[in-house]
Amino acid sequence: MSTFHLQIVTPDGGFYDGEAEKLIVRTINGNVCILPRHAPYVTALGTGEACTVIDGQRRRAACAGGMLAVTKENVRLVATTFEWAEDIDANRAQRAKERAEAALQRATEKAEIDRAQAKLKRALTRLSVTR
Amino acid sequence: MAASSMKDIKLRIKSVSSTMQITKAMELVASSKLRRAKARAEATRPYFTTLHATLTDIAYGNTDFSSPFVQRREVKKSCYIMVAGDRGMAGGYNANLFKAVTAHMGEKSVCVLPIGKKAVEYCRHHGLELVTDAYAVAEDVSLGDCFSIARMLCEQFRKGSFDELYVGYTNFVSMLTQQPAVLKMLPIRYERAEAKNTAESLTLYEPSTESVYDAIVPEYVGGLLWGAMAESVASEQGARRTAMDAASKNAGEMIEDLSLKYNRARQGAITQEITEIVAGAEA
Repeated sequence: MSTFHLQIVTPDGGFYDGEAEKLIVRTINGNVCILPRHAPYVTALGTGEACTVIDGQRRRAACAGGMLAVTKENVRLVATTFEWAEDIDANRAQRAKERAEAALQRATEKAEIDRAQAKLKRALTRLSVTR
Repeated sequence: MAASSMKDIKLRIKSVSSTMQITKAMELVASSKLRRAKARAEATRPYFTTLHATLTDIAYGNTDFSSPFVQRREVKKSCYIMVAGDRGMAGGYNANLFKAVTAHMGEKSVCVLPIGKKAVEYCRHHGLELVTDAYAVAEDVSLGDCFSIARMLCEQFRKGSFDELYVGYTNFVSMLTQQPAVLKMLPIRYERAEAKNTAESLTLYEPSTESVYDAIVPEYVGGLLWGAMAESVASEQGARRTAMDAASKNAGEMIEDLSLKYNRARQGAITQEITEIVAGAEA
């Protein structure tokens, strides 16, 4: 199967640098799937599940914020957070979800509500990826 | 006279050796902090370079200037983010950065967002206009803080509070060398070659160039700032370690010198006493 060069980086360090067959990520406009020989393409990432197919192996991850840039040479996923499913602590995500829900209840200002909602979304994504 | 000078020297040795203890301890603390800071700076570097390379690629191929972040506009005011340390005792770390940033500012009308206690003090002292001094402790600034700073600055940039954004930080070249640098963040603009590269300009932006830039640019500024912070923190510890190492060495030399003087004075006192006794016996 043909492959493309995929680079995944986050502020905590590089995550992946190598060949991949398929990449599915949530952008601000919904899910997109990148296959080899994709046209040059740039978009911003939302919060959601990401999925890569490397050597026929499907790997799931939680991904939030950042950008996706497809050029002729490679595909760069520059994410704010990116965690493989096996690295996620489900209990911690569950607690984060509860905290975010409580914060959402209390929040009155728009900025607070936005922040709590973003946190809740991240926690829910993490939980759904681990399942 | 000999007795009092001996006492003076002894006191001096004591005070120098207690200073040396402090500098030694600071050096050890800086070394262990440096190891962590260096690991962080190295972990961030791929993100930093990829982010920069990606944005450069995008901006280079860009032909749509609907987003305010890529438009060229007349520069009336510049904003500088100044990343310095919280404490002194780090050799020229803070002073070098201030010199570099001040030289870059020149005569422009500027506002500054200082990060680190020393940067806040410097700006207050020189009467520079502050955007905010909420980030006074450089060591406590988290990734989340970097992104909130970035969002706030991008918002102000859009509103036209300033027309250029720079970050002044210190590059961690090696354990012994740290280089202050000023990096331009906004507007994102690269001088393009005359010949238009048509393949590049076919890049798809979804949903639209403007909304992509609006979402990406704050991330970009935040990411660059995080990278700059990581470099600066590592540099600060590196500079402190070097400075404290030199201070401990100097203290060691001083103690050696003083011990020699002390022994001479002691010898002198003994000789004098013997002379006095002998003279007394002869009399």
